[in-house]
Amino acid sequence: MSGKEKTEISRRFEGCPYTETSAGIPLKSFYTPDDVGDFDYQRDVRDPGEYPYTRGLFRDMYRGKLWARRVFTGIGSGTDTNKRYKFLIDRGATGLFLFPDQPSMLGIDPDHPIAEGYSGVSGTSWVCLKDMYEIFDGISLEEISFSTNFSTMATPVFYSGLVACARDLGFDLAKISGSMINEPIYMSVCVYDINEQPVDPFDIATKLSTDAIEYSIKNTPKWHPLAPNPYGFHEKGANAIQEIGFQLSIMLEYVELLLKRGFKIDEFAPRMNVIGCACDMDFFEEVAKFRAARRVWAKLMKDRFGAKDPRSWRLYISVHTSGHSLTVAQPVNNIVRITMESLACVFGGLQSFDPAGYEEGYCTLTKNSALTSMNIHHILGYESRVAAVADPLAGSYFVESLTNEMEKRIFDIINKIDGLGGAIKAIESGWLRNEIDKEALREQSELDKKERIVVGLNEFVVPKEEEVPIELGRDRPLEEQMETSQRRTEEIKELKKTRNIQKTKDLLEKLYNVAGKDKQINTIPYIIDSLRADATLGEIMGVIREANGYSYDPFEMIENPFK
Amino acid sequence: MGVEIMDRKIRVLAALPGIDSHDKGMVVICNALREAGVEVIYLGKFNMPEKIVRSAIEEDVDVIALSYLSDHLYMVFFPKVVELLKQNKADDICVVVGGRIADEHLNELKARGISGFFTQGAPLKDIVNHIIERANSRKKD
Repeated sequence: MSGKEKTEISRRFEGCPYTETSAGIPLKSFYTPDDVGDFDYQRDVRDPGEYPYTRGLFRDMYRGKLWARRVFTGIGSGTDTNKRYKFLIDRGATGLFLFPDQPSMLGIDPDHPIAEGYSGVSGTSWVCLKDMYEIFDGISLEEISFSTNFSTMATPVFYSGLVACARDLGFDLAKISGSMINEPIYMSVCVYDINEQPVDPFDIATKLSTDAIEYSIKNTPKWHPLAPNPYGFHEKGANAIQEIGFQLSIMLEYVELLLKRGFKIDEFAPRMNVIGCACDMDFFEEVAKFRAARRVWAKLMKDRFGAKDPRSWRLYISVHTSGHSLTVAQPVNNIVRITMESLACVFGGLQSFDPAGYEEGYCTLTKNSALTSMNIHHILGYESRVAAVADPLAGSYFVESLTNEMEKRIFDIINKIDGLGGAIKAIESGWLRNEIDKEALREQSELDKKERIVVGLNEFVVPKEEEVPIELGRDRPLEEQMETSQRRTEEIKELKKTRNIQKTKDLLEKLYNVAGKDKQINTIPYIIDSLRADATLGEIMGVIREANGYSYDPFEMIENPFK
Repeated sequence: MGVEIMDRKIRVLAALPGIDSHDKGMVVICNALREAGVEVIYLGKFNMPEKIVRSAIEEDVDVIALSYLSDHLYMVFFPKVVELLKQNKADDICVVVGGRIADEHLNELKARGISGFFTQGAPLKDIVNHIIERANSRKKD
């Protein structure tokens, strides 16, 4: 460069451009004691482990027990998954996670025509009990907590398989811990649209979910059998306030339902109080979200429902940071994002989280990004000392003020939904999805206008060849993808041929006979028996559908093979 | 550029083919198209090419908009939609796609008359304008 030519220095970014949080709460440039005017430590915050749990659920917090360290896993067959689990356990995992492939998620078998090309591709293919043995081969289910992202009507079937497998391998069911997303109201918005695609009929989904919850309360007391997943709301576009407000409103529907059935609040609240959130890039808003969510739940349980058992007041929050916040461009930057989001989880006092993988824009996690995510846990937990002191942001004028404001706005949403007749009505009328869609459109408009900056996406874009190099996994080429799925399909076809067909048929028939929702019989033992007789996920789901007057196949492409 | 063709509004059929369930982007685009005055028929998730093409013909649309964000099966679904349109003599309906499409597939898809290829970061107005442009180009054919 010579003479008068000078590199142009951007003036646009001299100052921080934001005057509100990502959910639209106005931000001042600094906060003073006036912003927390009638702040009363003993009333609003209190010590960790004390109602209303603003500062976390336990007094000794992370000194007593660090968050459960999980990493997203969803890969190929049961054996592939088991290999990844062992890799992660060797590197310090204290929790395991399973993401199913799309056919398993939808409760159809690999040999279903619509599943062609999908089996074992973007998640683990789980179809039968044999898969469960492969997944957990050599892993102690008593010592590691397990969580799954099955989040459809197939969840109770997967849970039945887990119970059968744990029993067969000689584990004490009372020691099996973890959670599953088994919440049909959430599913009716995030997995399929109640007004659009009847893949999981709401009535059977609710019946099966309730069966699994009841079975779990009696047989797997350390398991969280409902575990709603507001993460899905966030990834569809909901802001942080809506994410919590919508999900807690939905949970109130269950509370009312169970109270009507004659249960006492303290009998069930301690088993239904785990939610799986997102944690996006608005750092302080996310920390305030977690602090406020715990406080709102505690107040609802204590004040609205008169719960007396402190365990009913506690809301456990788990997080998969946020796939939505990651970029395809400059993927190395995602490590920074995931680390910031994970730090917000620690400052928010969560009991478990899994840092997303930097490759999420490209493929499900390879060993490289899984190990990187695992090490984010370790660096935060063991190297940085951020976990040594509970709720370190408490007392900050800003954070306390933001927590108060989040709490107020979450309550506003809950009251609004109460006024609409409850969450189910708000969903059936289309109101809730419309609120999410409006927020998604607002976000995109802000990105387009560059009122919301994402580095490498709408600002600070660099040409592909200038990106900082990082090894990236990638989806299998199409041919390989088709082969993987085909292999899996052949395996299941082979199982269907070589099993004791009469036995399978008999046990599916028994299941059919009890599965009608009006019979009010818990189906889980019958699902377990069917799985033991080598019935597949798709067959079990089909039979349950038929017993309730629906077509065997949600897509109406295949018939019940046993008829 | 108008959103009306021969006295009627531009009609777009939007869908997710296969069993990919990443529908946020498509929902946002549908709402942006509606705001721009386009008529949108949104089929939602879980559609095989046969259903997409049948619906497109029944609904007499100008453009089919498809989104795919999972794996490589779009290389089966997108060409199949074009092929079925041809078979049904409806290949004047334009096909616009977006989501996560690998660079190495672009040429093959372009050769089949598919356009768009909008990905993460594409401004909404570019997507909306492109769809309206393609619908208008159909008028001239």
